[in-house]
Amino acid sequence: MNDTALKPPLIASPADQPPTRPLLAAAGAWVYRTLELAASLRLTVVLFALSVGLVFLGTLAQMDEGLAVVLNNYFRSIIAWLPVRVFVRFGQVFLNVDPHLYTSGDEAVLRFPYPGGWLLGSLLMVNLLAAHLVRFRLTWKRSGVLVLHSGLFLLMLSEWIAGMYQVEGNMTIPTGGMSNYTENRDRVELVFIDTSDPKEDAVVAVPGALLREGEVIRHPDLPVDVRVERYYANSSEPRRPRPGEENPATAGDGVHLVTEPRRRGVGVDAEQRIDLPSAYVTFLDKKTGASRGTYLQSVWLSALSNQPTQPLTIDGKTWQTALRFERSYRPYTLYLLEFRHDKYIGTETPKNFSSLIRLVDPQMNEDRQVLIRMNEPLRYRGETFYQSSFLPGDRGTVLQVVRNPGWRLPYVSCGLVAGGMLVHFLIAMVGFFVRLARKGTL
Amino acid sequence: MNRLTSYAVPAGIVLLAAAVLLVTMLPKEEAAEELHLRQFGQLPVVDRGRVKPLDTVARTSLLVISKRQTYVDEYQNSQPAIRWLLEVLTAGRREDAPAMKLKVFRIENDEVLTLLGLPPRPGSFRYALAEFVDKIDVIAREANRAKAIDPKVQSTFDAKILELATQLQLYVDLNQYKTPLVVPPWAGGDDWQSLGEALSELQRGSVENPHAVSLGLILVYYSKGDTAKFNQEVARYLERLQRERPEETRLAAFEVFFNQAEPFYRCSLLYLALFLLGCGSLTVWVVTISLRKPEWMVPVRTTLIGLTVVVLALHSWAILARMMIQGRPPVTNLYSSAIFIGWGAVLLCLILEVIFRRYLNGLGVMLGAACGGLTTVIAHHLAQSGDTLEMMQAVLDTNFWLATHVTCITLGYAATFVAGIFGIAWILLRIPYEIWQPRMQPEIAQVLGLLFRVLSLILYATICLATFLSFTGTVLGGIWADYSWGRFWGWDPKENGALLIVLWNALILHARWGGLVKQRGIAVLAVVGNMVTAWSWFGTNQLGVGLHAYGFNNTLSWWLVVFWASQLFFIALGLVPPWLWSRRAARPTLGLAD
Repeated sequence: MNDTALKPPLIASPADQPPTRPLLAAAGAWVYRTLELAASLRLTVVLFALSVGLVFLGTLAQMDEGLAVVLNNYFRSIIAWLPVRVFVRFGQVFLNVDPHLYTSGDEAVLRFPYPGGWLLGSLLMVNLLAAHLVRFRLTWKRSGVLVLHSGLFLLMLSEWIAGMYQVEGNMTIPTGGMSNYTENRDRVELVFIDTSDPKEDAVVAVPGALLREGEVIRHPDLPVDVRVERYYANSSEPRRPRPGEENPATAGDGVHLVTEPRRRGVGVDAEQRIDLPSAYVTFLDKKTGASRGTYLQSVWLSALSNQPTQPLTIDGKTWQTALRFERSYRPYTLYLLEFRHDKYIGTETPKNFSSLIRLVDPQMNEDRQVLIRMNEPLRYRGETFYQSSFLPGDRGTVLQVVRNPGWRLPYVSCGLVAGGMLVHFLIAMVGFFVRLARKGTL
Repeated sequence: MNRLTSYAVPAGIVLLAAAVLLVTMLPKEEAAEELHLRQFGQLPVVDRGRVKPLDTVARTSLLVISKRQTYVDEYQNSQPAIRWLLEVLTAGRREDAPAMKLKVFRIENDEVLTLLGLPPRPGSFRYALAEFVDKIDVIAREANRAKAIDPKVQSTFDAKILELATQLQLYVDLNQYKTPLVVPPWAGGDDWQSLGEALSELQRGSVENPHAVSLGLILVYYSKGDTAKFNQEVARYLERLQRERPEETRLAAFEVFFNQAEPFYRCSLLYLALFLLGCGSLTVWVVTISLRKPEWMVPVRTTLIGLTVVVLALHSWAILARMMIQGRPPVTNLYSSAIFIGWGAVLLCLILEVIFRRYLNGLGVMLGAACGGLTTVIAHHLAQSGDTLEMMQAVLDTNFWLATHVTCITLGYAATFVAGIFGIAWILLRIPYEIWQPRMQPEIAQVLGLLFRVLSLILYATICLATFLSFTGTVLGGIWADYSWGRFWGWDPKENGALLIVLWNALILHARWGGLVKQRGIAVLAVVGNMVTAWSWFGTNQLGVGLHAYGFNNTLSWWLVVFWASQLFFIALGLVPPWLWSRRAARPTLGLAD
């Protein structure tokens, strides 16, 4: 095919153009030049190189920060403000730099800007689209590239959808027990539960984002006004106060338990790094504004103790209060019939985890048994339930619940990319060998 | 040059080499009057979750304790691991037992040696338990202290004292019959028992377990030095097991054959030989061009290719044997990834050599042998931690994904490494070419010019293959992750590592298509690909985060840095502009110009 035939007539010599419309011609030429610039392979290579850098640095950053932080701040952002600390970490692992350097006090860490994942991704998408606009040719030789690039476009789109719309939660069910809600371990809520109705609890929840120090929260549904004295985004395990130690709490569990703030990303579990927030809140009478006591509310208490809630009596009516992971309820219920944790003989190496579940959904009229195990999740009503973890002593199961509207896209796009690449490389290879056979030498 | 010398002679040489290799691998018959150690080693036992022969237990335990699969007895003779195991099993708690005096514990750290009051013993660094048995309390105290420290901030001393404590624990568990589970199920039970349990049941008289009786007798005869009765009891016991548990006994016997054949050790030596033969072949090539007898190269390269096929066949058999023993796809851990990457790289280089044999003349075999040799040596060092056929963590327990995703990804590594080593070859060969080109015979200059064109063609093709394999492998991994963890892509370090390889290869291809780099640029970028792949393969594990972190190792970090430095050196060489070499050559020095 003749390349020059593809160039639009807009940048042909002025003599060919009607002299009355030079402005339009100039604008067209300008648009085309911009497109050509956006389509340049030089830009592709630069973007690839920047992406390599981002992925590498983002991987290093995971040594200090939880995956959620790395995802939101670096991979799913426009500008990634990367900590200089990552280079120290690299040195510590590979170049024998003192391992005690930079191990604490990272709040005032030095950062430098770097193009974030969203920026690089969208530039790559623009680059790809522009390249096909400028150099579009529908020939057999280019068919593979076309298929593979459309697959890549879909793949980037699916990562964007996952980033924007994917919702993850955890469902914990003790053996013999049930659950109809998932917990979001990145967010907390302060709840007031009205248990007066034996059939159903009424819950009033204050989102964790509103719990800022010094703030007073007022709402008609709340039985009291709430003044936030202190809020720790991550806290240490509550312990008995030392004699004479200052304790902000004046009522509830906090009277004999204190907690301290802790660096984020250092959770109970080294692998999962879940933050366990705590707050000191004072409940104020709605009419008089008088204090009803300062309480210690902590996820440590709601998630990990036998007494998940603390009672609060207002005008003769008792509310249960707690700071807990944000819950979202489902119209169906999962019962855990059996949790199995098999090990290889004579070892502690786990061989398999599985949960035998009874799924009851009155809306859909479903009542059936399902077995969830490693590599065999349950997909139900747009959500997927995975065997994720288990309660200490195998007393129950922890399921990861994910809703991702774009979960099918990667399958399609990967097929397209792999198939397109195969076609493209095969065409090139066959062409090479045909030429070689014809010429007899290189 | 006729058909006979071109093909029949090479075929004869190759067949002879294969026959010699086969004969040396066959086990020797055990004479009637000597101890039947090999038969004893074939006894199936259960250890770390799988049925394996005692021979494997002996080898892996001695490897952990001594960093070797053999030991030196008091008469300075090298002895097999199974004999050491027999000594340990019959030592009891006697302080004067021979096992106490065998110098097997390898302790090389100065501080640990000082703590134990032992003299440094450079060269072997191996000590007998009797030499430091009175310091056991001190070791236990230090180990307990070190255990409480986060591995990331442990000192070398802490790590080494923990290592010694682990070695001692292993010894004690073997010595006191806690591991392995040697007694097969008997009388309706299906649990294997340790010898300790079975013997105490026997003493209580509750169960009359004939397996336990046999094992007990075997040990008694060994400690009494009664060779004839030892052999007789081993044979009888093995016969009974063959009847009762035919499958496991047969597999255990096969594994002993596999252990004694030491195929990967042989492979590393043979790859070294192939590398040298490849160098030789290249030298012969240059000579044949100057003599204008290019047809003389035909028998040389045919022999070389044939020999490579033989070595690759051994390598393939060894991988297949491992798959058979374990009942798993080829790659299940870091060790097996090393031998499989080596296999893939050699195979790819062999294919390239066959296709371009008229241009490469043994260079492909040489580079393939370098890959094969290096990876088998890496594998040898990765095997120091014990049994390489270990059981898999629950999430990995799926043959389908291991066979597709993991195999694909590791072949992608192999292809990237092959591209990298061809890049190195390009850079290194280019330097003498640039220097001597002005004074070269025109025939040689022309042939070499063609070689560089073939090399960059190979680079391009291999990078395309690497892109395809790494992308497909990465994506299959994504789909697996979607099945087991609920997200297609989790930005986990290992996943990111795989993505880096894909991105890097895509970068090279686009740079080539855009005309931003020519032959030299592609060669340099391909060497960077080596660094990226090494990061993905080993580097990401060192960070100690993520769901894929399956092989953290301290000395690995150091070797990784050495590898990166070596690649940077090649990159720097490649970045030197060609005219710098040729101008240097133009200067009349050392009379070379005459």
